[in-house]
Amino acid sequence: MMYLTKVSLWDVVKKQFRFKLKSFRGMFTSLMILQVMALLFSLSGEGGGGGGTDMFSYDMKLYSGNIITAFMMIWALISAIVVTTQAYRFDDYTFVANRLSSHLANILFLGWASIIGGITTVLASQSLKLSVFFLKDREFVESQPLTVLQMAEGLAATILYLFLFTAIGYLLGMLVQRNKIFMVIIPGFLFGSLFLNVLLASESTLVIDIGQLFVRETSFLLFTVKVLLTSALAYAISAWISNSLEVRK
Amino acid sequence: MSVLEFDSVTKTYGEKKALDSLTFTLGENKITGLIGRNGAGKTTMLKIAAGFMSESSGEVRVFGKHPFNNLTVSANLIMIDNDMNLPAALSLEELLEAAANFYPNWDMKLARNLFDYFSLHPKQTHAGLSKGMKNTFNAIIGLAARCPLTIFDEPTNGMDAGVRKDFYRALLKDYIANPRTIIISSHHLNEVEDILEDILLLKDGKQFLHMPVEELREYAVVVSGKEEAVNSWLRGHEVFHKSEVSFGRTFAVIRNDLSDEQIAAAMKMSLEFSTISNEDLCLYLTSQEKGGIDDVFNKG
Repeated sequence: MMYLTKVSLWDVVKKQFRFKLKSFRGMFTSLMILQVMALLFSLSGEGGGGGGTDMFSYDMKLYSGNIITAFMMIWALISAIVVTTQAYRFDDYTFVANRLSSHLANILFLGWASIIGGITTVLASQSLKLSVFFLKDREFVESQPLTVLQMAEGLAATILYLFLFTAIGYLLGMLVQRNKIFMVIIPGFLFGSLFLNVLLASESTLVIDIGQLFVRETSFLLFTVKVLLTSALAYAISAWISNSLEVRK
Repeated sequence: MSVLEFDSVTKTYGEKKALDSLTFTLGENKITGLIGRNGAGKTTMLKIAAGFMSESSGEVRVFGKHPFNNLTVSANLIMIDNDMNLPAALSLEELLEAAANFYPNWDMKLARNLFDYFSLHPKQTHAGLSKGMKNTFNAIIGLAARCPLTIFDEPTNGMDAGVRKDFYRALLKDYIANPRTIIISSHHLNEVEDILEDILLLKDGKQFLHMPVEELREYAVVVSGKEEAVNSWLRGHEVFHKSEVSFGRTFAVIRNDLSDEQIAAAMKMSLEFSTISNEDLCLYLTSQEKGGIDDVFNKG
């Protein structure tokens, strides 16, 4: 007598998520490398100025964790693109999976990666602060004090930004999987938009405009809603696109 | 209950029909050999059965369900093939643990014993294995998963003769202890024949034969003798293959449905009968009607 195993979707998603925690661990190695690189870049400072009179002169430098955050955004984007490549997609179907469970497990994993990325970004920014304190031979080192609430908001915002970038990366990756022509169109669009921005010296290009939608948002709640809605939309479109791909070759 | 059911299933790639209204049914707990030449549609058929690809038309049922993108089917079926994707980040040991997590019937003891027997190293990665070792490892996963439907597509590619023998023996032993439906596709019928119950022979995407191995052994017979004698006697018989040997002698593979008179007539013309191995028979049955490879060179 044959007994078929009954499976629930959520059960399979959980198993796949645990599987991905292990099999995608290379992403966290690249996260560490990128953060060390970003820290080194940040140590040279982001801006500054100076001045003086006959009697005295001064110079100042500004340090911030912006480079670290930017590096992590690129990391989130690329990691999500990598997840959509054939080799990674087909891994799922070696064991138990269908498309929906595969997408859900990927989203869970990328969410988890965003959390890890967010926490480490905040910690790396703190290390930057400490490094500046100890390494730089300065008369005055002033750091902007943050309340616990501000820290928490900063952490949450970083995580949300990273999650948004994973969603965008996932969508871009799926588009490329659907049709290789996007491999040319997407970078063309992105860089074209940036060049145009520099060339015309105006801020009004599409990519920048879309970015403003999030950056200019002053209400944290609204920002959260915007990010989650956009991410959900990007993931949903990706799932829809993947329906026209083969499950596995 | 039928485990696998194909009802006039067609799969087209562009203009080419890989499967051409293929119809067959596989019952529960049997080992079926899937035989056919390159491009006969074996792998396409298996991938459709495994739910990796969808059919162009027709109806496919696995455990009574449409397999494409189906979670229940995926949980109860494993397909082992040469393009199996396994994450490069995991060691072999971790891969076994991952598989154990997914398949409820997984037998870790069997997996570890086979793993040790074939001298695989737990810390190696799948990408670092040779082709034969890769397929050995994949085969271990296929056996230990104990899925109600287990599909092996050319499982022994790259394995050395000893490993092949051991694999088939392990498969048979485990099948006897835990009966389930198994499909093995292979180019080497001689090797698998002993453990098969049924044979499904594909030709040009169609089912050509589907019968127990025992019946296939009785299916055809070889008749040989002087060319004229063979030719005159052959009239009215179903001839699968005919070729000249040498010194004016010819042999023909024919359907084994001879009456006593026909045999007596043949004896009188001093024709000889002999048996044919299943592998050779399958080769003849599925050969294109263009003569043999010799004709390629004889065209001048």
